[in-house]
Amino acid sequence: MTFRLADHCGQYLSELACEDQRIYVLDGDLADSDGAIHFATKHPDRFVMAGIAEQCMVSVAAGMASCGLRPWVFSFGAFLCYRAYDQIRVCLSQSHQPVTLVGSHTGGLSARNGKTHAALNDIALMASLPGMNVWAPGDENDLKLAVRRILAGDKPAYLRLPRRPLDPLPGEAASCRWLTEPQPIALCGTGLGTHLALAAAQEYLPLYGLHVGVLHCPQVSPLPQLELAAALEQCEMIFVIEDHYRFGGLASLLQSLDPSAKIISLGWPNDWSGRSGNDEELLEMYGLAPHQLARSILTTVESSTSANRSKVLLS
Amino acid sequence: MIHKSAKTPSLAVEAAELRREIIEALYACSGGHYGGSLSVLDLLLTLYRRILRTFPESPRHPDRDRLILSKGHSSIALYAVLRRLGFFDRPLSSHGQTGSPLEGHPDMTVLEGIDFSTGSLGQGLSVGLGMALALRGTERHTWVVLGDGECQEGQVWEAAMLAARYRVERLHAVIDANEFQEWGWNNSPEVNRQPLEELSNKWSAFGWRVLEVDGHDHEALATIFEDAASTKNQPSLVVARTIKGKGYPMIETDPIRFHCTTISELEHRELVRGGE
Repeated sequence: MTFRLADHCGQYLSELACEDQRIYVLDGDLADSDGAIHFATKHPDRFVMAGIAEQCMVSVAAGMASCGLRPWVFSFGAFLCYRAYDQIRVCLSQSHQPVTLVGSHTGGLSARNGKTHAALNDIALMASLPGMNVWAPGDENDLKLAVRRILAGDKPAYLRLPRRPLDPLPGEAASCRWLTEPQPIALCGTGLGTHLALAAAQEYLPLYGLHVGVLHCPQVSPLPQLELAAALEQCEMIFVIEDHYRFGGLASLLQSLDPSAKIISLGWPNDWSGRSGNDEELLEMYGLAPHQLARSILTTVESSTSANRSKVLLS
Repeated sequence: MIHKSAKTPSLAVEAAELRREIIEALYACSGGHYGGSLSVLDLLLTLYRRILRTFPESPRHPDRDRLILSKGHSSIALYAVLRRLGFFDRPLSSHGQTGSPLEGHPDMTVLEGIDFSTGSLGQGLSVGLGMALALRGTERHTWVVLGDGECQEGQVWEAAMLAARYRVERLHAVIDANEFQEWGWNNSPEVNRQPLEELSNKWSAFGWRVLEVDGHDHEALATIFEDAASTKNQPSLVVARTIKGKGYPMIETDPIRFHCTTISELEHRELVRGGE
């Protein structure tokens, strides 16, 4: 069986819960799809099937947290972030309650489910709430790091996980790290976006003679500013590849750091609501397949280089 | 059947004093929610004086009972009671003023004694259910005070269903049933104007043990709260029949205006003269 990150999350929590009695899991009737099943079977006494009622579920978790527990709330990201946004705003963010939202099936690749199940601006919604930590792990090791960091802290958090299983990324998990040698031109991603970036950088761009670095940033909010500042210092151009709208995701957050490097966002267009379909075909339709990303990056780099040459000739 | 009994003088006297403090404070801070604060006061005072286990010197004591004022716009009534019990001594007139922890709606992050922040209606019962689940196996009770208008929020019924499904004990909802809301359906004669029709039947149908009481009779309230607290194997609901603006005829007779309003000095004097 291929595990999704949400499965790893449910399984890892069920391991940690053997030692940490504060861990509880609530689920909105998607346990066999969103990873909560692993906890439910191992710790039925600390599992609450909250029904198809996400608003209530988030507030129940907040009440539990106020009594010293560490609840983890599982559902699809869309149903948590959109259906229960006011409850997240009031009961978690404004009330400082350390509840973690585990959102599965996020981003634009929702398979047969289509637009109602897609979460395309969830980073924007969650990262703009005071005190909310947001992680978009790229593999199992990232996910475990995020879980440990969240449990060590006392903030509300959102774990953004895709439907599609993700293979291991190179290197050791960190809030932000280079997956390749650093380069002046970098592709930057979080979650599933990093895998698209890595494929474009390693499988396609070298065919055109362009060698770029890949920077992975699973800690989306707050951004790891020191690590990013060090990483971005060497960059002139950063292409942010993300499974999120171009506006309001990682590219927007990086831009808010006012880096000297130019930031170019390559994500879902803001006038698209999502739809049913095969992952690869949907990526192709919106120019996010790795071979398309490579062409787009190459074109931008070439036009920027030629513009710079013109500037030199004119000066 | 609505329980009634002779008044307990001490709580009645204290309630009258607190009502006067609320009226003066709302005038001093340029207005606010008169009607619902006066209707809910006797419920809160009776719960805090006679039912809840609290620790005013150590407000976050883990072995305390919890109370959530889900109809958070009546915050000044809660502040008046907590202040009288010694949770804090900041004047009520700082309610909603810049820098005061007596926020317009209760904020647990700035004021000791607030068990959970409220203000966006409909969320308190779910939070209380979470507390009751977390406190299972202890002797502690969780009380959630709602408005009858607030019961129009769908999340209230999500929580009602879930609490009954899990047969959660020591979770008690109290509805301040004053029969009014901010604007309501008073201009629509063809529509029932009650905030919630067949309130008790609806809660019974959702699996709750329902009790009804005169919401301004302190002794009857204390008795019914004790009865509610003894409920086994299901959550309980106390429907407290109240009067919006209780104790001040000018408000009782004009509940729509006095849901939330500002009044002139002349009106304030008239209001005080007409009070209990």
